[in-house]
Order: sequence, then C-alpha cells, then structure tokens
Amino acid sequence: MANKKVEILLCEDNKRDADLTMRALKRQKLANSMVWVKDGEEALNYIFGEGEYKNRSVKDAPRVILLDIKMPKVNGMEVLQKVRSHPDTKHIPVVMMTSSQEEKDIMKSYDLGANSYIVKPVDFNKFMDSVSDVGFYWLLLNKPPNIS
Amino acid sequence: MGTLIDELLSFSRLSRKEKVREIFSMDKLVRECFNEVAEAYAIEPAKVDIGNMPVVYGDPKLLRQVWINLIGNAVKYQENEQNICISVGACRDEQKNQIVFWIKDNGVGFNMKYSDKLFGVFQRLHSEDEFEGTGIGLALVRRIVNRHGGDVWAESKIGEGSTFYFSLPDKQKGIDYGE
Repeated sequence: MANKKVEILLCEDNKRDADLTMRALKRQKLANSMVWVKDGEEALNYIFGEGEYKNRSVKDAPRVILLDIKMPKVNGMEVLQKVRSHPDTKHIPVVMMTSSQEEKDIMKSYDLGANSYIVKPVDFNKFMDSVSDVGFYWLLLNKPPNIS
Repeated sequence: MGTLIDELLSFSRLSRKEKVREIFSMDKLVRECFNEVAEAYAIEPAKVDIGNMPVVYGDPKLLRQVWINLIGNAVKYQENEQNICISVGACRDEQKNQIVFWIKDNGVGFNMKYSDKLFGVFQRLHSEDEFEGTGIGLALVRRIVNRHGGDVWAESKIGEGSTFYFSLPDKQKGIDYGE
C-alpha cells in the first residue's frame, strides 16, 4: 500500500486550536494530507517511525512540521532538538506555532534551529488568517529540500 | 485545585512567606484534607486508608497545600470514579533522620520515563482534554517540601496507579530550613 505523502504534521495538544488550524488549512485546500499528533511523544514516534507509528519510515518526512511548544510529556523544544539532531530529519522545515511570546522561547527556538516562529493570535479571524498564510507560504511558496 | 492564576500566585508567594514552624498532628491534617478534596471534587473515594501518622514539626498551612494537591491528584487521575482507593502512610527512616510520607492510588498511573518531569512547573503528562490541570500542583508540592528540608519522588506503572512520596526531617528542634 503506497503511503500518501504527508504534507503537514501538526503537533498540538489543545483540541480546539488543532480543530481551528485544520479548518483554516482545509479552507485553503492546503491540507491534502495532514496528520495531527497530540503531544511530543506522539510527534517523535510519528517522525521517527516508532511506537504506535512503527510502520512509518523516518525517511518519509512531512513537508512541514507545525510545532506547539507547551505539550504534555515531551515539549516542542525537545521535539525540535531531536528532529534537528538526526540526519534524516534535520532539514524538515519546522514552524513553531505557539501562544508564547516570551523572548526566551523565541530565542531558544531559533537557537535549536526552528525555521519560523508564529505567535497564535487570540482573535479567531486573525488566527484563521495566520494559519492560512503559514500554510500557503510553507506548502506553496517555499521549496523544501529533497529528503529521501 | 483552583485556577491557573490562583495556583501561580500561591507558587510565587511561597518565597516571600515567612517561615512558620510548629508541632502539629499530621493525622488530623491529612483527614481534614481528604474531607476538603472530597467536597471540592464532589467525589467520595470508595476506600481511604490512613496509616499511623507522626506528630510533625513544620508549617501546617504549607503542608496542607501539599496534601490537598497530592490527594486531589489521587482522586482526579482516575478512569473509574466509583472505585477510587487511596492509602496514605508514614514511616521513620532512622538512618537519614527523616520521616517519609506516601500516598498510593489505584488511578491511571504514569510512564516512569517522565518521572523527572512530574514536579516541573507547567509540566504535564496529559492533555487538558484527558484530565484538567495547570501543571503547577506538583511544582508547588516540591517547593514546599524542599523548603522544609525534604524531598519528593514518585513511582508508578501505567494503568496500575501511582505512589507519591515526600520526606520531612525528623527533628523537633534546630531545623535549618535554608532555601
């Protein structure tokens, strides 16, 4: 069974935020293949093909990872660090999508190699627009590296 | 328990609070905390076992917070509200000159590989959808116990409940709380 290429890996523990994000991307027809994971542990299992995702290959990388920082078990920074430390995953574009505006979180994300840092707007419409813009940029405008 | 803001305030006020030391009955405190939690959560555990508790030297208000958080967690992190079993006890460790208190539940348990994260601020092992919580409760427990010169730790197996431990120095005089 051929694996459909995963475009977006959404790592978000808050169901409401995840729902809104998925809706915004679907509205722009940007989410042909999107996967939602609910915490850092599940994110790492998905990316590295372990645990409940052991049938996946680490070489089957998503085109972009949308990464929340505050997640249960393993947080976004740790996920980012692991993704950047593995030869098969270090080039995957990672966009931090978080409610944190803390300078230390922003700095640390870039230090660890995030490609972009988006602060989730509180306003519903602005949130939907932000996600649409992010999806459009990273999936249509940006050219990802050829990982395989 | 309580809102995120209340809990953060409790946590941050801790360092400004004056140190209080008195001798008091841990048994009485634990029983009061069980009642308070049962009322707040509107859940009566099916079984509560309270072992012999020593008289303790410390800050009863702060140690009340410790028990409220630990008992609250024992009641909260459960699949089946009808069959909550909690036991609480204490034992003296003569060698280390401390008393170790423990609380054991039959709840959902946690993965030991995350045990070092348990007591971190805002650290959680579950989403808000699974179990309500702010991620401050255990951080507050650790801070309070550390202020008393003690330590906290926990053991668990997923699906088989958890046991949380904390120690307090076993002295009645001359305790240097230090921080």
